[in-house]
Amino acid sequence: MKFMRDETLSPAMPAAAGHAVPMLELVNVWKRFGAAQAQTVAVSGVNLRIAKSEFVTLVGPSGCGKSTLFNMIAGLLAPDDDGSLLFGGAPQRNGQLLGKVSFMPQRDLLFPWRTVLDNAILALEVEGVPRKEARERARAMLPEFGLAGFADHYPHQLSGGMRQRVALMRTFLFERDLMLLDEPFGALDALTRTRMQHWLLELWARHRRTVLFITHDIDEAILLGDKVLVMTARPGTVKSETRIDLPRPRDPSIVLTPEFIDLKQRLLAEIEEESRKTFAQEGIAS
Amino acid sequence: MNVFMQRLLCSPALAFVGLALVWELCVHVYAPSPRYLPALSTIAQDAWSVWPQLLGGFGRTLLETVLGFMLGALFGCACGTLFTYSRWMERSVFPLFVVSQTVPVVAFGALIVIWFGNSLLAKVMTAFFLTFFPVTVNTLRGLKSCDPQRIALMRSFGANRLVMFFKLAVPSALPQIMVGFRVAIGLSLIGSVVGEWFGETVGLGVMLMEAMNADQVVRLWVVMFACGVMGALLYGLLTFVERRLVWWRSES
Repeated sequence: MKFMRDETLSPAMPAAAGHAVPMLELVNVWKRFGAAQAQTVAVSGVNLRIAKSEFVTLVGPSGCGKSTLFNMIAGLLAPDDDGSLLFGGAPQRNGQLLGKVSFMPQRDLLFPWRTVLDNAILALEVEGVPRKEARERARAMLPEFGLAGFADHYPHQLSGGMRQRVALMRTFLFERDLMLLDEPFGALDALTRTRMQHWLLELWARHRRTVLFITHDIDEAILLGDKVLVMTARPGTVKSETRIDLPRPRDPSIVLTPEFIDLKQRLLAEIEEESRKTFAQEGIAS
Repeated sequence: MNVFMQRLLCSPALAFVGLALVWELCVHVYAPSPRYLPALSTIAQDAWSVWPQLLGGFGRTLLETVLGFMLGALFGCACGTLFTYSRWMERSVFPLFVVSQTVPVVAFGALIVIWFGNSLLAKVMTAFFLTFFPVTVNTLRGLKSCDPQRIALMRSFGANRLVMFFKLAVPSALPQIMVGFRVAIGLSLIGSVVGEWFGETVGLGVMLMEAMNADQVVRLWVVMFACGVMGALLYGLLTFVERRLVWWRSES
């Protein structure tokens, strides 16, 4: 389902979203694990399109196959043969996506033996950028990520929010057209989380990378996204696509506006329906 | 002053001094036969009387221990790596390693002398025989316990196996490998001392044998202390290296 598009309210909308080749397109993507009888379907018939410079958020109950979908988009897991995954219009097979998408998993996964700066340049080092040059590039970005003066600190000396920013910076320095963020703020406390969300929005406004952001927080999904995708419980599939036409830049008080609350109500109802369905299914199954 | 006292109380130095005092006191009060417990001062005097031989033996045994350890550590790291990345090797060769360790090193002694003669190499080989296994096991364990999510992250950056090995697997495994080294260094000392029993003219093991045969109890104590000092020295050195190399250990 699609909400009415109000052109005057959406300056952030990519102009050519309609006809240009989407950055990423998933057509009927499936992922099944196990054989015949004991087969579990993690992801079923997912269709989605992400346009260039778009910020798409994906919400769904836990265990809905979000991570499986994510790993497939990152190239870490091959989708089943019946669907196709297109990147910039070209179909991607077995691990071809590796190195094309900047991927940030839930845990920050910083290397404890590397300083903030050296953690940030990890992807650049893998690419073969000389260390000195990589460090210079990272050093220039430190203030933007709120890490000025922390270049030579080690991960254990940082707070949760800072660690997450280092991880984001590492993802950011790996300059790819598509950024995949898997619940990056999931482990943070509410206050830090709000600050990080707005900081991310500012960052996105400046750099305009294409983002696919997974979360299970509806507020976060609406606040950040141009588009919210709702996933069903297992077997996971994309149930609906909702355009968020809230004006940008969005400030923290936007969560109190009637438009926001209206969107939240609709999405909540959808997710609620979904979890009720799974609940019933599980009841029958057991 | 207070801080200094606290430090002193916490350091092992106080315990050592205390033990030495109790020892001397016991010997003076109860006066046991030196056969059972000689006075520390007697041991020190005896050590002083043979110091050139003691120093020579110490140096020789140290050399054997260090060489055996280094060889075993290198071989162990290489084998651990091989077993990690080759399932086939792990299945077929690793059990052989385990079996080799069930044979006591003493049983090998004569054979080693036949193979390597009465040389430095023979002692190095006994030390090596005891050293390589703990290093192999710990390297294997360390490399295998590498966080799969970190591996996925590196793969998503397009890292090949070599880059993955040096930038992720090796640093992750280092703390575990160091555990192996610490076990190995003690075993290496045992190996070289035992190796010397099968024929040698210099070394702490030789002095130990001579003292045993001549029933020189005080000399036995001297050699035991020398072995203890060497073991502590090597262990301390390794701990120092470990703190420098894998200081993040406690955080992860």
